[in-house]
Amino acid sequence: MDSDERALLAETFRKTMTAASGQVLDLALAQLGWPDLLAEVPGVAIPMVFGLLGETGAQAPLLNDVLLNAAGRRAGGTLPLPYTGGSWVVWERTDRPGTVLDGDLPLHGIPELPVPGAHVPAGSVAADHVPDGEPVGLAAGRRALGWWLTGTSRAMLGLARSHVLDRRQFGRSLASFQAVRHRLAETLVAIEGAEAALLAADGDLGSLLAKAAAGQAALTAARHSQQVLGGIGFTAEHALHRHIKRVLVLDGLLGSTQDLIRAAGAQLRKEGSAPRLVQL
Amino acid sequence: MNVTEFREGVRAWLATRDLSPGPDHSLQGQVAQLARLRRALYDAGWMRYGWPEEVGGLGGPAVLRAVLGEEITTRGLAEPGVYSLVEVLAPAMISYARPSLAAEMVPLLLSGREQWCQGFSEPGSGSDLASLTTRAVPVKGDGEEGMGRRAGAGEWVVSGQKVWTSLAQYAARCVLLTRTAPGHGGITAFFVDMDSPGITVRPLRAMHGVDEFAEVFFDDVVVPDDRMLGRPGEGWKVATDLLPYERSTCFWHRIAYLYTRLDRLLAEAADPDESALGAAYLALHTIRCRSQATQRRLAEGGPLGPETSIDKVLLATAEQRLYDTARDLLPGVIELTESPWRPEYLYSRAATIYGGTAEIQRNIIARRLVHLGKE
Repeated sequence: MDSDERALLAETFRKTMTAASGQVLDLALAQLGWPDLLAEVPGVAIPMVFGLLGETGAQAPLLNDVLLNAAGRRAGGTLPLPYTGGSWVVWERTDRPGTVLDGDLPLHGIPELPVPGAHVPAGSVAADHVPDGEPVGLAAGRRALGWWLTGTSRAMLGLARSHVLDRRQFGRSLASFQAVRHRLAETLVAIEGAEAALLAADGDLGSLLAKAAAGQAALTAARHSQQVLGGIGFTAEHALHRHIKRVLVLDGLLGSTQDLIRAAGAQLRKEGSAPRLVQL
Repeated sequence: MNVTEFREGVRAWLATRDLSPGPDHSLQGQVAQLARLRRALYDAGWMRYGWPEEVGGLGGPAVLRAVLGEEITTRGLAEPGVYSLVEVLAPAMISYARPSLAAEMVPLLLSGREQWCQGFSEPGSGSDLASLTTRAVPVKGDGEEGMGRRAGAGEWVVSGQKVWTSLAQYAARCVLLTRTAPGHGGITAFFVDMDSPGITVRPLRAMHGVDEFAEVFFDDVVVPDDRMLGRPGEGWKVATDLLPYERSTCFWHRIAYLYTRLDRLLAEAADPDESALGAAYLALHTIRCRSQATQRRLAEGGPLGPETSIDKVLLATAEQRLYDTARDLLPGVIELTESPWRPEYLYSRAATIYGGTAEIQRNIIARRLVHLGKE
């Protein structure tokens, strides 16, 4: 796929995500060829589609597909997903509201599973030939969530940037105050660092670190964007709160930033040295 | 030669030689070790890769210099700070010196026969480098007397003061920025012999106990016109053209060095705080990924402008986090013992100051990358 084709495809996905979310978007993306794209070029499909989910603020249960695809199975269906704190959730392919902080997401808790890792349960739609409770590698899912988190971070930075350029206080543009400028600069640094880690991520440890970096960036973006937006960013009338809630919920999926950082530290201690994952 | 062949060649070569530093860990000892190391690397050819043939190099991409520096600093053969100085000196000569001058001088630097220094910062011009005031005045007519030194036509007389000049007390030459007219367009660069009459070097003791930096005084120092780098007024460009090398090759060397410090911390930490170790590692991994992408862009001929301010912030943050973590996990070591952690911890405090402060970097990012307009 050359860069023109990629841009065209991204534009199509962006339009679709701007128009629809949830179950409708899930069906629309399936019609646009998301399952084939994921199976054929996951390295293109995942950053593009998950980054756009973040930027547009739309949501769809595509994380299921990424994990199933990584396990060599066809997209479609659901599987239990580990959540921070030892919980398990299912990201339903419905619009049935649950109790999660981000009320748009059809995430539903399920009883605890005995073995760590996501599991493909027997009898699920997509996994009818899978033995009971087969564990699925989480790396691809962590990369996908990482791109979603950096996409959401860019959306929050965009909202904050427009606000500080538009609003005036003390006879000056908010964007002219160095304290405000430095918060937004810090946000971009965190996002770009996380994107570099995502681009370089391939194996388990690289993907774990990339999601941790993305989670950190998203929490940084949330904090600074909310601060410079002032009161308006605390209202439910402004779009920011949706992004903040999404970040908080996505951060906990497949391991939170804190979980993953601790896991990386544990691996370092076990190995006795710090792996140099990227080379010139 | 590609990167993999080069890396394997360097590793195989280093494996058969003992180039490790001797017992003298003073700055003088470090400088002597650096000269010895460069000489050996130059004679074997490794130091010449990534530099153009016109200045004694063997050609190949600049990334080979980053690879060599990673192998050197990873083995503890040289401190990354002094080892990387060539990256902020030689490119200025290659791009702006008369070709014959560059061909004569650059091999002296690469081969370790000489140390050079960079005369940029001044007491009144730190972050605001473009405000520098060290004057260079052209000699008109038949020449004139200055401080008893006779300057002739076609010569310049330099007066002023530089500070934070690394290794000036050991340097044979200096890449010097001077003022020849007002504003950014009034800065002119020269290549000055440090044994010229009128130059006084006063080493500065830094808080980590090392005289790494110096003040350099210029009292009517006569510099020939053919030692100008570029044309009058091109000095700002000479300085800013060095940034891509400083923020790619030099950064890669320092990142490699910081990984060795994290390894040492893993071996020595009394308190196995996995969250703290993981956070220090994540910060290092992030700048390593970013720096790899930056060097790829440099290799592809892409412009390296304000984007490198992000690399600078990520590196300074990672460095300070690592040493803060070391202090937390090695309680009392920095304060009570004379271990290497003490000077290294203290030196890391400067990471957000040298090379453009953290605040300047954030100003650049806000203006040029977040597009927030003028302050």
